[in-house]
Amino acid sequence: MLILQIVSLEPAHGYGIAQRLEQISKAIVQVNQGSLYPALHRLEQKGWLKAEWKESETGREAKFYALTASGRKQLVTEKDSWARLAGAVQLIFSEGDQ
Amino acid sequence: MIRHVTNWFRRRKLESGLDRELRYHLDRRISDLEKSGVPAAVARRQALMEFGGVAQVQEKIRDVWLSRWLRDLTYDFRFSARSFLKTPSFTITAVLSLVLGIGATTAIYSLVDQVLLHALPVREPERLVLIDWKGDQVASAHGSWNLMSYPICRDLDKKKDFFDGVFCRALTDVNLSTGSDSRPEMVEIVSGNYFEVLGVAPALGQVIEQDDDRVPNSNPVAVLSYDFWQTQFGGALDVVGRKVLVNRHPLTVIGVAASTFKGVDVGEVPSLWIPASMSSQAIPGFNDLLLDRRNRWMQVFGRLNRGMTLEKAQAGLQPWFKAMLQEDTHLASFPVITPERRQAFLSSSLVLAAAPQGHAPLRRQLLQPLWMLFAVTAVLLGLACLNVSGLFLARGSARDREIATRLALGASPWRIGRQFLADSLLIALFGGLLGIAAAPIVVRTLVAFVPRASAPTALHAGIDLRLLGFAFVVSVAAGLLSGLAPAWQAGRRSVAQSLRERGGTAFSGVRLRKIIVTAQIALTLTLVVGAALFLRSLDALMAKGPGFTTSGLISFGVDSLLSGYSPAEGNRLMRRIDEAIRESSVTQSSAIVRWPFLTGGSWSDPMTILADKRLTTDRDVNLNTVTPEFFQTMGVHIIEGRNFDERDVHEPGVEGWRSAIVNEAFVKRYLRGRSPLGMLVCEGAGPDDNPDVVVVGVMSNFSYRGLREESEQVFFPFFEGDGASGTFYVKVHGKPESFVPSLRAIVHGVDPTLAMTDFRTVSEQVDRSLNTEHLLATLSGSFGTLALVLSLVGLYGVMSFVVTQRTREIGIRLALGATRWSAIRLVLRDASAMIFLGIGIGLLLVSVLGRLVQAQLYDVKSFDPTAIVITVLILCSAGVGAALIPAHRASGVSPTEALRVE
Repeated sequence: MLILQIVSLEPAHGYGIAQRLEQISKAIVQVNQGSLYPALHRLEQKGWLKAEWKESETGREAKFYALTASGRKQLVTEKDSWARLAGAVQLIFSEGDQ
Repeated sequence: MIRHVTNWFRRRKLESGLDRELRYHLDRRISDLEKSGVPAAVARRQALMEFGGVAQVQEKIRDVWLSRWLRDLTYDFRFSARSFLKTPSFTITAVLSLVLGIGATTAIYSLVDQVLLHALPVREPERLVLIDWKGDQVASAHGSWNLMSYPICRDLDKKKDFFDGVFCRALTDVNLSTGSDSRPEMVEIVSGNYFEVLGVAPALGQVIEQDDDRVPNSNPVAVLSYDFWQTQFGGALDVVGRKVLVNRHPLTVIGVAASTFKGVDVGEVPSLWIPASMSSQAIPGFNDLLLDRRNRWMQVFGRLNRGMTLEKAQAGLQPWFKAMLQEDTHLASFPVITPERRQAFLSSSLVLAAAPQGHAPLRRQLLQPLWMLFAVTAVLLGLACLNVSGLFLARGSARDREIATRLALGASPWRIGRQFLADSLLIALFGGLLGIAAAPIVVRTLVAFVPRASAPTALHAGIDLRLLGFAFVVSVAAGLLSGLAPAWQAGRRSVAQSLRERGGTAFSGVRLRKIIVTAQIALTLTLVVGAALFLRSLDALMAKGPGFTTSGLISFGVDSLLSGYSPAEGNRLMRRIDEAIRESSVTQSSAIVRWPFLTGGSWSDPMTILADKRLTTDRDVNLNTVTPEFFQTMGVHIIEGRNFDERDVHEPGVEGWRSAIVNEAFVKRYLRGRSPLGMLVCEGAGPDDNPDVVVVGVMSNFSYRGLREESEQVFFPFFEGDGASGTFYVKVHGKPESFVPSLRAIVHGVDPTLAMTDFRTVSEQVDRSLNTEHLLATLSGSFGTLALVLSLVGLYGVMSFVVTQRTREIGIRLALGATRWSAIRLVLRDASAMIFLGIGIGLLLVSVLGRLVQAQLYDVKSFDPTAIVITVLILCSAGVGAALIPAHRASGVSPTEALRVE
């Protein structure tokens, strides 16, 4: 979901996504940078991401990932279900506090 | 899944892309780190560490592209292919075994599919049903199988609650002329809605429609079959509007039927279709066919309404049908019959049968033999698989080291077993490919055996998708089957065990291989016994013969009615031809019979006999009319009484026969051996049938319809009936085939435009009537031989392996003073245990399966001692022979050599 969210803002290459992940999560979510790539390829296989070789900001060719229509839909449903889950958890916590 | 497959094909591109992608990431990270002041060497290490194993990541991504098992499978296949190329002799043996099995199965399946399973190329064939009358129709029949009258078909067509439409059809031979010459062709007479109900479109022009079949004799039109249009008219586009002559009546061609459509009978392909309204032109001599409810001559088919089931339609039609029966009996035209027969008529019912494949007497005839052969080839395929299994097990023990190493390195038994499966699948697919290539050749040979003149045009040897699919499924099944035993064997082994075996002791695959060989021998025994039974049946039928002379005889048919003669003129014409042939110097003697022999059909009817009391026959008697020369020409003896002669000639103005000759079987069945001379008989068994024909002679028995039957027969004088059409049997000096031109010249000397049909020698007819038996005997014989070879190879392989393995033991025995003979005995004892156990199981199978083939046998019991003893002897001697070679090797073991091997 995080990857989809990042890519939904603008197309990005693997390294860029890794950087953004680190920035956004402020190093709370620590993952091996390498394990990002199988995830990207899986999302591409599922048709949620599409990839394209483009010139990057350094002038070298890099593989840019962008969200597809079905990927966008997937992101919406995942956000929804996350919101529901988070809401539910919140509810349980607040119940417990009373 | 599909994405996986496409990924496999573009994996090279994916790999290079991934490479670039990961390199980009690392390079960027390194340069970023360097920019932040980390030294180059450290930056590289840190980047790699952050990334976490590049190789692992790559592997994970490859798993995403291609699921794990698929990747492993491709590795397995590649490994298999490489190892097969390294051992060509093994590969060739295994592939050949499977080619035999798969090729044979596919070829027979091709026939099974075409004759038994293939649906008609019409719209929604699954809604077609054949409508038949179960019970006594009190009607005369013209043709055979599932016949009903034309008016009933029209009645049924009005039952729109059940049917979209009901049509009827009949096949007949006509004398067809498209230009100068004329020749016999097959024509399908159809009701006007035939093409509409079937849903067959024209390829050119139009097809027969309802309006073409309203008023008798008023619509002289014809639709050509696509093949006939191509061969006879060269596919000419202006064929519509041309005239063809059917029995000298001009018909206008209105169209050509769709190219795939070949009528509704698999075995009999018509050249053209004509509407039933023109049936009196197509079948001269029968006039009331369209109105007479008591004349059955057509097969009736219906297309059920959508949503209507066969059972519902059958039940729903009965009330109407019963009422119609009642109504029929009150018609003035209804014949006078006995109360019993009336009861039989009134208790008749309509029966519907699913007919997506149309109507096919050929299917009826070949149903059992084909399924039987299919079963035989399946067994053969099983044998081939077992053989390949054995080969793989042997190879497995040769690959002991490789496998032990892989196990020790941590491969799971399942992984090793899968490698074996991949091996056998690869071999099987390759075998299947070659088998498919070989199948058309086999099919072409098979079609030659199919007992029907027109069948070769109807059956084809081509390969279609269904066949490919079948061969693929069979190959995969064969691959799995033959890989199962080795895979299981490999999967069972543990590391410790295989390391222990490095010392050189037994590899336990031997027991499995022995079981396989035993099974092979059992299956082979069943196949060989089957072949022996069919051969003995064929032999018995050949030895018995038809009961008349076959050598030097040639026959051909002449139907003067098809050439426009009236019955009386035709009778005179036949007399003139008969005389011309008999007077010719090239012929020895000649006779005419109304209905030819050994065709499978006959003219038959129950009869009434007036002995001391009146009695009727309990089943149909086969009838015929013959000229007096018949008995001499065919070598049929008159045992009692006299031949036909001038005393049998009519007085002018009197109709019907005056005399008859019956056969011995007739006397035996109905008169219990009393002399029939002087008794009165007549055709028909009704109360108003008046026996007025005197029996003047008794003839010896011979085959009328086919070689297997023993039937009661009654013959009448030829020229005293209509005598306008018949089959000539001419006895000549020398080879009968060479007399065709001179006989043609004689007949054309009488009438140059007369069409003659079916020039055939009588010995050829005997052979042809035994086609099914030939087919079964030849094929089961060759399959049996193949099976024998396969299992002998298996036996030999296992015994040589056993000998190699026991070399040390035998060496020690010999060193301790055992004789060479005892070494041979040791090996043979092992082999004979397998052989005898196999034979025992095989005999059990034979006794169980034998009943299934009984119907195809003649004069032989399915558990025939001679066949079984011979088979067992062959198997034993061949088996011992195959085991003797390794046994001999065992006896040649030198004790010192054997011990040095350690």
